[in-house]
Amino acid sequence: MTDIFNNLSLGFSVALTMMNLFYALVGALLGTLIGVLPGIGPLATIAMLLPFTFNLPAVSALIMLAGIYYGAQYGGSTTSILVNLPGEAASVITCLDGYAMARQGRAGPALAVSALGSFFAGCSATVLIALFAPPLSELALQFSAVEYFSLMALGLVAAVVLAHGSLLKAIAMVFLGLFLGLVGADVNSGLLRFTFGIYELSDGIGVVVIAMGLFGFSEIINNLERRETRVVLHAKVQKWMPSRDDFRASWKAVLRGTTLGSFLGILPGGGAMISSFASYTLEKRLAVDPSRFGKGAIEGVAGPESANNAGAQTSFIPLLTLGIPPNAVMALMLGAMMIQGIAPGPQVMVERPELFWGVIASMWVGNLMLVVLNLPLIGIWIHLLSVPYRLLYPAILMFCCIGVYSLNHMALDVALTAVFGLLGYVFIRLDCEPAPLLLGFILGPLMEENLRRALLLSRGDPTVFFARPISLGMILLSGLLLLLIIIPAARRKREEVYRKE
Amino acid sequence: MPIKIRSPKDLYAGLLFLFFGVLAMGMARNYPMGSAVRMGPGYFPSILGGCLTVLGMAITARSLWLVGGKIKPPVMRPLLLVLGAVFAFSFLIEAQGLLMALLALIAVSSLASWEFQFREVIFLYLLLAALSVGVFFYFLGLPFKVWPI
Amino acid sequence: MKWICLLARLVLVAVPLLSYVCSAFAQSYPNKPIRCIVPYPPGGVVDFHARIIGQKLSESWGQQVVIDNRGGAGATLGTALAAKAAPDGYTFLVVSPSHAINATLYKKLTFNTEKDFAPVTQLTSAPLILVVHSSVPAKSTKELIALAKSKPGQLNYASSGSGTSTHLAAVLFTTMAGVDIVHIPYKGGGPATADLLAGHVQMNFAGITLLSHIKSGKLRALGVTTAKRSMAIPDLPTIAESGLPGYEVDAWYGAYFPAETPREIVSKLNKEIVKILHMADVKAHFASQGAEIVGNTPEEFAVFTKAEIDKWAKVVKDSGARVD
Repeated sequence: MTDIFNNLSLGFSVALTMMNLFYALVGALLGTLIGVLPGIGPLATIAMLLPFTFNLPAVSALIMLAGIYYGAQYGGSTTSILVNLPGEAASVITCLDGYAMARQGRAGPALAVSALGSFFAGCSATVLIALFAPPLSELALQFSAVEYFSLMALGLVAAVVLAHGSLLKAIAMVFLGLFLGLVGADVNSGLLRFTFGIYELSDGIGVVVIAMGLFGFSEIINNLERRETRVVLHAKVQKWMPSRDDFRASWKAVLRGTTLGSFLGILPGGGAMISSFASYTLEKRLAVDPSRFGKGAIEGVAGPESANNAGAQTSFIPLLTLGIPPNAVMALMLGAMMIQGIAPGPQVMVERPELFWGVIASMWVGNLMLVVLNLPLIGIWIHLLSVPYRLLYPAILMFCCIGVYSLNHMALDVALTAVFGLLGYVFIRLDCEPAPLLLGFILGPLMEENLRRALLLSRGDPTVFFARPISLGMILLSGLLLLLIIIPAARRKREEVYRKE
Repeated sequence: MPIKIRSPKDLYAGLLFLFFGVLAMGMARNYPMGSAVRMGPGYFPSILGGCLTVLGMAITARSLWLVGGKIKPPVMRPLLLVLGAVFAFSFLIEAQGLLMALLALIAVSSLASWEFQFREVIFLYLLLAALSVGVFFYFLGLPFKVWPI
Repeated sequence: MKWICLLARLVLVAVPLLSYVCSAFAQSYPNKPIRCIVPYPPGGVVDFHARIIGQKLSESWGQQVVIDNRGGAGATLGTALAAKAAPDGYTFLVVSPSHAINATLYKKLTFNTEKDFAPVTQLTSAPLILVVHSSVPAKSTKELIALAKSKPGQLNYASSGSGTSTHLAAVLFTTMAGVDIVHIPYKGGGPATADLLAGHVQMNFAGITLLSHIKSGKLRALGVTTAKRSMAIPDLPTIAESGLPGYEVDAWYGAYFPAETPREIVSKLNKEIVKILHMADVKAHFASQGAEIVGNTPEEFAVFTKAEIDKWAKVVKDSGARVD
């Protein structure tokens, strides 16, 4: 115990210097701005800032980069709630109930709960990292392709739970998403699939492209049809503090989300992405009245946001302890560390303890700064909403288009976003929900990749999925969840049919 | 004998899924299949396509006896203008640069609003152009082509 | 009439004089920002190379070098863009060995790797390291080959993707050694490393990023792929020395101009980059990535490029990897 205490005091002594505090603040601020601008992800910012970090001492550079990273998570939920525009894949879930709350004039509580939940999650995840980083990473390594596949399968079943309309259509949307996810080069063979000869599609369709088109653009078109003058019609939004009821409803969701996200973020295969989806499903399953979800249930914001942020923090673990970046942003940070002459891996904790613990301590500092920054900003965002819609939506379109273009410098991406906007519009008309599609899109290629890899590693032995305990557990859980969904649905359908006759 | 379509929403949704399912299966046939335990690139998509086709057929069939909602007729103006604006942006951004692409985007999409006011749009364009060049080009250093030349 | 002759004579003198003066002005390249195309998304090794060089170039030439990341399609998208760029010296390309590999890996490229580029210089040379998991009972390349021969089809190697240099380095190894080790492709180096650390795959050809794990004992390095030992890990023998003579793979990075770029400009950039490469801090930066500077002449680099294209052509055929 005293060991931890010593380490933490070392860490804080590093994190709390004026210089590092400054860099943490810069990082958090930049990150929030980047997160709010739809489409521009942390990747572009970090790439741009990298040269500056060459000249900074290693710890300060990492602190700033880390601040940008989770600052972006905070910022991304802002646009999801306010204008149904997910800043990145993980914020999509927040669109579901967050935007609904905004339309009811409750954007303030939604944003506040999101910020506070994220703060709690960030702090708890940091504690987890401080205490358990090495053993957690060992645990994470137990996950092989077999377990990843079963996890994805579980995630897909959970995707169906996301829907609140027709079950059959939700399942079809998941499959459609799976199909769209397969566009591009196949990992195992290199073959280009479903690209129609368009070379630019060989890396697949970007998740931001789909998310923005399906959620953001279609919503704008819809709003224009409904002739809205203001996005929020009855904007009694002076209050941004959540009510006591809100707190009571959300605190358990925050706890559950934090736990879920903390665990999923450790997985080097990028579990952080699905942590928000998983949390939403969990909350919906556990809720007394699941039909509230999708219409402004605050748990649907509190849980996923906490899960998201917890996952973002714990995804530092594979980076710091194993030197494995779980996503592109972390890869950049890895590169930054190497430029500074630090070879990341298990040795970092031992050889450069002030680096390791300094970064961890600054995560607390960063989270605190973010919540202090974001809460007052809520008032500003709300005022932004009262700009007449006819002026607001072209601005939103502009940020989206530039954002999407800046991802890969491909005009095709922007055009594709428009195509998905059209598709999203059609889906809204046909009562098909886009969220299951997006989840299928994200999980599909991962599922296939891991399935094939698992079979390759086991030399074609399919029983391996049931032989390994973690995998078996998840498959059983999927089966159970499936039954839990189908049985009540079947019963409902039977009742409807009886009522007709 | 005329078939009564009880749920137009389901009908078109079903047909849409059917279309994608058949497309998936059709294209996947050109990729090597492999076997169930050594899957080739065509295996998974074929199965997906198959499931999607089945689901599409089920939903289409269901539309014939289960009562669902009528589809609200699409309002063409906002749809075409917003999408058109974005397409225009994507065409113009590389050839003509940010300022021109933005002009097309703002101008065309603003037309979609019934509250369109010419002077406002000009002002909005100038503001957004300045903002975007400032933030994206100067501050973030993203290498765009800004001017049409 | 006389003054017309005088005028004609003046013109005849003036024109060559003027053109000489004009070409002297043309020597003032660069007089506007230069674009460096990196055909990968930001943050990778190629990107770092380009940024370091670019920063120094900006300083010494007084003109901004803008890094243009055009990732996609295994680096072919960005490369195609560079091939089609105007050969005026204001666009150059930085690549990795994938450049040579793609020449034969992709059947439908919109550019010709050999003809559409003017080599400037080879920036660095780096080894890949043959790494095995600590559970593998082989302490040298020779032992590994013997182990693999005794267990055909039972061992696995990871790669960062089908057709990448880590994949093809392994294919060259298995063909030359005559062993049957199963290829398990991953999406990038990170996931490959993760499974290697966990022991799900037994070996991998990787860059120097795994040094920390090698030191901690989780992984064991058997050899470097280059012909000479690496200065960063001088104790590690080359694969050629330790069991597979003749084996050589170089993870190199180089710069190219589009094909018709004037010789003087190519030469100018070459000299400047070579100068930059020899700066102490640049050398140190690259060394931290395990890369050693090269900085050869355009002619030498052209020969090297051709040799690489030919070498990888054979390996691509042997591996059966295909993209379109």
